[in-house]
Amino acid sequence: MSQVLHPIEQKILRALLEKQNVTPDDLSEMTQLSIDQVRRGIEWLKFKDLVQINESEKSFIKLGEGGRTALEKGLPERQLVNYLKSIPVSSCEMNQAKEHLKNEFSPAIANAKKNKWIEIYENRILLKGYHDATAEERIIKLIASKDPVAITTDDIEDKEALDLLKKRPKFLNFTSTKYSTVNITEKGIGAAQNAAQTTDDSVTRAIDVEAPVPMAFVAKSHPLADVIDEVREIFVSLGFSELVGNSTQSSFWNFDALFIPQDHPAREMQDTFYLKDTSAKSIAKPKQINQVSKIHKDGWHSDWKLDAAKKMVLRTHTTCVTIKELADKQYEEARLFSIGRVYRNEKVSYKHLVEFNQVEGVVVGKNVTLRDLMGLQMEFYRKMGIKKAKFWPTFFPYTEPSLQSMIYNERLGKWVELFGMGIFRPEVTKPLGIKHPVLAWGGGIERIAMLKYGLDDVRELYNNKFSWLRSVPKCQ
Amino acid sequence: MPVVTLYFNRITKLLGRKVSKEKIISTLPFLGLDIEEEASDHINVEYSPNRPDFSTDYGIVSGLQGLLGIKLGISPLKIKKGVDVIRADPSVGKVRPFIVAIKALNGKMDDETIRQIIAMQEDLHNGIGRRRKKVSVGIHDLDKIKFPLVYKAAERTHRFTPLGSQDEMSVSEILDKTETGQAYKSLLEGNTRVPVILDSTGNTISFPPIINSKLTEVTSKSKNLLVEITATDRNAAEDTLAVIAQTLQNAGFKLSSIRILGSRNSTPILDSRKMLLDPTLVNGILGLNIVPSVMVKSLRKNRLDAKIKGKQILCTIPRYRTDIFGPIDLVEEVALGYGIENLSPTIPQARSAGQKNHVTIALEAAKSTMIGLGYMEVMNFGLVGKQTQYDLTKRDSSNIIYVADSKSQEHQILRDALLPGLIDTLSRNIHESYPQKIFEIGTVFHKGNPIDEEIHLACISAHNDTSYTEIKSILQSFLKSGFDVACATKISQDPLFVEGRTADILVNGKKIGMIGELSPEVLGSFKMRVPTAGFEIKLTGLIFD
Repeated sequence: MSQVLHPIEQKILRALLEKQNVTPDDLSEMTQLSIDQVRRGIEWLKFKDLVQINESEKSFIKLGEGGRTALEKGLPERQLVNYLKSIPVSSCEMNQAKEHLKNEFSPAIANAKKNKWIEIYENRILLKGYHDATAEERIIKLIASKDPVAITTDDIEDKEALDLLKKRPKFLNFTSTKYSTVNITEKGIGAAQNAAQTTDDSVTRAIDVEAPVPMAFVAKSHPLADVIDEVREIFVSLGFSELVGNSTQSSFWNFDALFIPQDHPAREMQDTFYLKDTSAKSIAKPKQINQVSKIHKDGWHSDWKLDAAKKMVLRTHTTCVTIKELADKQYEEARLFSIGRVYRNEKVSYKHLVEFNQVEGVVVGKNVTLRDLMGLQMEFYRKMGIKKAKFWPTFFPYTEPSLQSMIYNERLGKWVELFGMGIFRPEVTKPLGIKHPVLAWGGGIERIAMLKYGLDDVRELYNNKFSWLRSVPKCQ
Repeated sequence: MPVVTLYFNRITKLLGRKVSKEKIISTLPFLGLDIEEEASDHINVEYSPNRPDFSTDYGIVSGLQGLLGIKLGISPLKIKKGVDVIRADPSVGKVRPFIVAIKALNGKMDDETIRQIIAMQEDLHNGIGRRRKKVSVGIHDLDKIKFPLVYKAAERTHRFTPLGSQDEMSVSEILDKTETGQAYKSLLEGNTRVPVILDSTGNTISFPPIINSKLTEVTSKSKNLLVEITATDRNAAEDTLAVIAQTLQNAGFKLSSIRILGSRNSTPILDSRKMLLDPTLVNGILGLNIVPSVMVKSLRKNRLDAKIKGKQILCTIPRYRTDIFGPIDLVEEVALGYGIENLSPTIPQARSAGQKNHVTIALEAAKSTMIGLGYMEVMNFGLVGKQTQYDLTKRDSSNIIYVADSKSQEHQILRDALLPGLIDTLSRNIHESYPQKIFEIGTVFHKGNPIDEEIHLACISAHNDTSYTEIKSILQSFLKSGFDVACATKISQDPLFVEGRTADILVNGKKIGMIGELSPEVLGSFKMRVPTAGFEIKLTGLIFD
């Protein structure tokens, strides 16, 4: 199949078939295309090897001071001839001529002699022969006739005379410019002939399918939302059902139900966001409140205040939603997960946000074990494309035993901390009537997103920079 | 989390056996310690505040000795019965009622030992001591003190030379002028009199929970120490004393008890506890099938004592292990001694299929419809700044929900609408090419008890030819093709939008949102020059319940 040429390309090639070695300006004139269209067309054609571009240099000539005088008065030798013609007997003493011609006397004598216009005899100058216009004079006239446009050396045929003129001081001014000329290649000749035969603008209107085109912006979901969706799909595929709960929670479900003592540092205002002057009206069933209060008094040997449990917070984890569900529903067996925003009163930095997404999963069952919990992590990581993971002991107030998982990140070339996990403490489950062990694990989604998109600053996920949102590939 | 610095040469000496640096580094995580920073001669590790015994290198070495098999089981506290007395006067009853103390004798205090002990004291103050409110610790040069001591409340005019000062100061001056005085004076608010400890010659040795006296300052020449702990919680005081006593014994000191007299006070008993552990619980929780003798060995690796007693295991827990509440904590001790790396993961099979929440399913449909209409999703925070949410957008701010004590101006209030965030997003992208069409689906909050949380959709279009008509067309198509919902628009007013190009959005006669062209004043305050139109609707109750 022959190459399809853009109409601009076709016009340029046709023009080049007529005349070679032309400048873009010439082409613009020949094709009636704008200079920009011509330049673009030439680039395309060059890329396809249909034209060739030669860079050359051109000299432009204008008359200098001497040249302009010569134009007005004639060359020195012409002035001498005219002088001789104006005086009786057409001859004079050398000195007389010298006085008349002043500085131009020497060149006048030399050139007039060379032209055989004079003869010198015993210190007298005698006029002789024919005095036709010389080649040098014609060049001066030619240059003057084009003024103010400069003519090029190519425009002057008698190079010998030009050289002579060049030798006269300040007669000519030369300037030089680089320029390019375009030639059609052999391949180009073929393409131009082909195009002439096959294309008819009014019929096919073929276009250059190989030419570059601008980017279109894709409407798409947020990269962080994609990670959330991916995590959700994995949980569902592992047999987990999704819980959705509120961001605003009573301290009871966020802390007390999880056996976090009322004077625990995490409950202080510098770590947790409390809603100003807001207490929950009702927080839980009376029996739940009673039992939780009792375990706190026994376990922590301290007072337990209902008012503190009623204070409303922005949840610091999604576990508050999970534990309430488990307390209310009393499952014999369950696999549940939740994904949602959680809040910490931190200073925002490249590592920390005050608000981020957390995922959490729990498994309830009579015979579930710590090894099962580890196995579920490995399965989750495998589905996320993470191949290497290991476990270290750690501490969480509401799980025992507690572990943290470390995953190997290929890009960073090191182990990084990911999900924390454990089995809910009896101090958490028993007061709420939960009979079976509860495996629980969770962690921040942003951390996964940072690893996935290769970000070093977590804030970038919430900058909403269009340059990033528009360009980051949907699949990585 | 608190940090401890471990110098390898010290650790090696304390371990009592040659262990490679690599082995030490790779074992530390299995004590639950996070490696913060590694250098050629030292390593910084974070420990969890539930293990205050890890607040010095002595405690960490004791843990390492167990896991590395150098020393197993308890290293029991040996406390010689002393005769010296501290009497708690009833006057401290209302301020800070409890005191416990111990002597540590014949030790060597080099600079690093002093540094470790001071760091431990600070960690204990902040953790178990709840920033000195519950417990505070004073460590003194015992040889500067004449027994018996009295712990009593003194007037604020009481004078002595505090640590770090050359001159005598009154209690009031100390609270107002010294750094620790200013930091902790609030703990004594509401009490005209403050607690002090005086010795038999009348010298003040401590002003808890603020500062010690200069007289009893511990230096590298000190050989004998007095540790006194005052508290508002007796149990926490004894917990703290147990940790310090164990640490000082590990550091080579000989311990001697001090009798405590006075109302509600008594001499502390730092005996270990006994606890029975059922091996079936261990195997059930861990998913293992190991015999009791393996469990015993594992427990001993964690510096606990254990022996088989019938079908049970009898454990002995040293007093400083305040983190052990019941048998489940011993299960974890078995796991750590057995080795987490020796637990191979098992994958339990799911008995039922998983499913997404119905809210998620509805929101996914909303999102894909908006994307189909050519809008790009953005995500903003729910906890936002007042300026964007109300001031620049000229919105009604009478029902703001504030959080208390936020560290950042940009995160002070809960958003009640999404559009301000979207406008802000556009204003931060004015240098990017147009048209700009974005949407957000997210939670907004309204005052009430409980707080009313709703999910909204907001959408905004900015380009030279945008108009009310364009955005209404998007709204209408979103509702119709996404959810087969018909909507109407009824002219209204809102400072966010241009008058005459603003409407309420109605579905079945009920208002679900607002639509309009953004007012030039609002656009101006966000430095935007391109015409912009948008809408916001409540999805809760519309596309899901």
